[in-house]
Amino acid sequence: MKSINRFVYRSSRQVGLNAVFGRMEFGWKYEIIGLVLFAGLWGLISFFVFTRPQFSQFKGFLPGPTINALVDASQDSRFWLSAFASLRRILVGICIASVIGFPTGIIIGFYPKLRGLSYSPLQFVRMISPLSWMPIALLLFTSFESAIYFLIVMATICPIILNTTIGVLNINPQWIRMALNQGASDTQLIRTIVIPSSLPHMMTSLRLALGVAWIVLVPAEFLGVSSGLGYLINDARDTMEYDKLMAMIIAIGILGFILDRFFQKLQHKVNGSWIE
Amino acid sequence: MDTWSRRKFLKTAAATCSGLILPCALPSFAKQTPLKLGYLPITDATPLLVAHGLGYFAQEGLQVERPVMVRSWKILIESFLAGKFNLTHMLFPIPVWMRFKQKMPVKVLAWDHTNGSAITVRGDSGIYKFSDLGGKQVAVPSWYSMHNLILQLGLHTQGLTPVIKPQSAKLSPREVNLFILSPPDMPTALLGKRIDAFIVAEPFNALAQIKFNARIMRFSGDIWKNHPCCVIVANENVIRQNRVMMQKAMNAIVRAQAWCQKNPKETAHLLSRDGEGYLPVPETVLARVFAPLPKTEIVHPQWDVTRIGFQPFPFPSATRFIVEQMKQTRVEGNTDFLASLDAGLATRELVDDTFVRKAMDEMGGIHNFCDCNIETPFSREEIVEIN
Repeated sequence: MKSINRFVYRSSRQVGLNAVFGRMEFGWKYEIIGLVLFAGLWGLISFFVFTRPQFSQFKGFLPGPTINALVDASQDSRFWLSAFASLRRILVGICIASVIGFPTGIIIGFYPKLRGLSYSPLQFVRMISPLSWMPIALLLFTSFESAIYFLIVMATICPIILNTTIGVLNINPQWIRMALNQGASDTQLIRTIVIPSSLPHMMTSLRLALGVAWIVLVPAEFLGVSSGLGYLINDARDTMEYDKLMAMIIAIGILGFILDRFFQKLQHKVNGSWIE
Repeated sequence: MDTWSRRKFLKTAAATCSGLILPCALPSFAKQTPLKLGYLPITDATPLLVAHGLGYFAQEGLQVERPVMVRSWKILIESFLAGKFNLTHMLFPIPVWMRFKQKMPVKVLAWDHTNGSAITVRGDSGIYKFSDLGGKQVAVPSWYSMHNLILQLGLHTQGLTPVIKPQSAKLSPREVNLFILSPPDMPTALLGKRIDAFIVAEPFNALAQIKFNARIMRFSGDIWKNHPCCVIVANENVIRQNRVMMQKAMNAIVRAQAWCQKNPKETAHLLSRDGEGYLPVPETVLARVFAPLPKTEIVHPQWDVTRIGFQPFPFPSATRFIVEQMKQTRVEGNTDFLASLDAGLATRELVDDTFVRKAMDEMGGIHNFCDCNIETPFSREEIVEIN
C-alpha cells in the first residue's frame, strides 16, 4: 500500500504548476541538501572540464576563484549599487507589467468573446523574444533606463496575462451560478468572486515573471546604463575575467532566490486570507 | 536623467509651439542642444573619452554629460538614429551604408583614429601571412566594418576567395570562411579552436595576447599605412542647426587627439578602470595598445606606424579607396546601392571637413598631426602592401 500512497496527492495544491509555484514548502532540509548537491555538481563538472591544460585560462569557472571573486565584489560599493539597480529594474518592470496584465487577464478570462479575440494576438506576441523589441524600445523611449523597463515589461506581461486568465477560468462554476441566481451584475461578479478566487494564480504568475525578468535583464543591460548585475557580467566578458562572471551569476541566483521566497511568503498571506 | 529629459521635452514642445507662430524662435532653442556622446568599450572611442575626461568640452563652453557606453554597433547606430546620441564614433563603412543605402542624414566630420586593429591567431598556429589563411575560419565583428574590408583586401591579393558559409561546410584550400562574432567572444572562440583567426579593434587583440598567449599575425596599420578606422559622425540636421556647437566639439576632440599622440601612457591610464573607468579593461592591457610597436612584430618598419594613431584630417583619397573597396567586399545582405555609387561624389557628399580644418588650424595646423607633404598637406597617397 505504501508504494501507491506516494502517488496519491492529499490536496489539489500538490498538483500541476501549483506544486512547484504554490504555497507548499518542502522543508528546509530538502532545500539545503538540494543546494549542496547542486554546488557539488558544479564543482565536479567544472573540475573535469576546466582543469584541463588547454582550458587553463578558464579556471575562473571553478568554485574556488568564483567564491573569491564574490567575496571581493561584496566589498565593492559598485557591486551593491549594481545589485540595487538591477533589483529596481526588475521590480519596477514587474509592477508595470502587473498593473497592465492583471486587469487584462481578468477581463479576457471573464468575457469569452474577448478571450477568442485575444487568443491569436497573445500567442503571437508570446513567442517573440523580448529582445527583438530593442530597436523599438530605443526609438520610443528617451532614456535608456525606460527602454530597459519596456523590455522587462514585454517579457513578463504574457505569463502574467495568461496565468491570470487561467485563474479566472478555474473558478468553480457553482459559485458563479449561485451569484447569478441572486441577481449579481458583471461588476459585482468580478469584484466579489473572480478577482479573489484568481488571486492564487496571479501570485504564481508573478513568480514566473520574476524568472523571465532576470533572463532579459543581462542582455537589456547592453544598453547605455552604467550599473547593474547584467552590466557587470558584460564587463567581465569584455575583459575575459570569468571568475567575476561566475560571481555575478551566483549573485543573481542568490538575489533571485530571495525575491522568490519573498513572493512565496506574500502568496502565502494572500491565499491564506480567504481560501480554506 | 528623468528631470533632464522632461526639461528637454518641455523645451522641444515649447519650441515646436512657438515655431508654429514665430518661425524665427526656433534657432534660439536649438542653440542649447546639449551634446550627447555615445561609445563602445573599445579604444576607437579614445578621442571622445579623453576630450571629456580632460574637460576639453567644458573648456569650450559646452555642456556635455559623461559619454554613454553601449555594447554593440547595432545599439550604437539605433540610439544615434533615435537621437539619444548626436556625436559618436563609427567604423567608416557604417556611415557609408547609412547614408547611401538607408538614406539617413549622417555626416562624417573627421577621422577618429587611425590603425588600431589587428589580425590575431593562436600562439601555436602556423599562420604567419595572408596566404596561410586559405581553408581557414576567420571572424569579423560586423559586415560593414573596416576589419572585414581590410581582411578581404588582403585575401584578394593572395588569390584567396572569401566565402560566407556554414561552419560545417567543406572549404577548398583557396577559400576563407568569414562570419560575424561579437568581439568579447573572439579570443575565447580562438582558444576553443572554433575559429583560426579574428580581426577586431583593440583592446581585444591586446587582451588575447596577454591572457591567451595569442599572436598578432598583422597589425592593420602594417597592411594599409595609417588607414582610417572609426570616424566622428553627427546627424546632418543637428550640424545645420548647431554649427557653433559642432565647431567647439570638434576643437575639443582634435585637441584631445593631439594630447593622446603626445601622452600615450597617460591616455592608457585615463581610459582604464584604474583611471576614469571609461573602458572596463585594466591599465596593463591598454598600456600594450598605446605602447610603441616592437620592430619584430611588424613587416614594414620603414612606415613607422603606431598601433593606434590620432590623425584627424579625413583625406579624400582614403574615403574614395574605402568606397571602391566596399564594392569588392563580400557581405551578407543586399549591396546593390554600392554598384551605382560614385566614389568621388560619395566622398563629397558624406564628408564635411570644414570643422576639422578649422580645429586643426587652431591647434597649429595639420603638420602637428602627420608627416605629410609640405606643398599639398591635405592630400596623400594611400600605401597598401600585403604580404
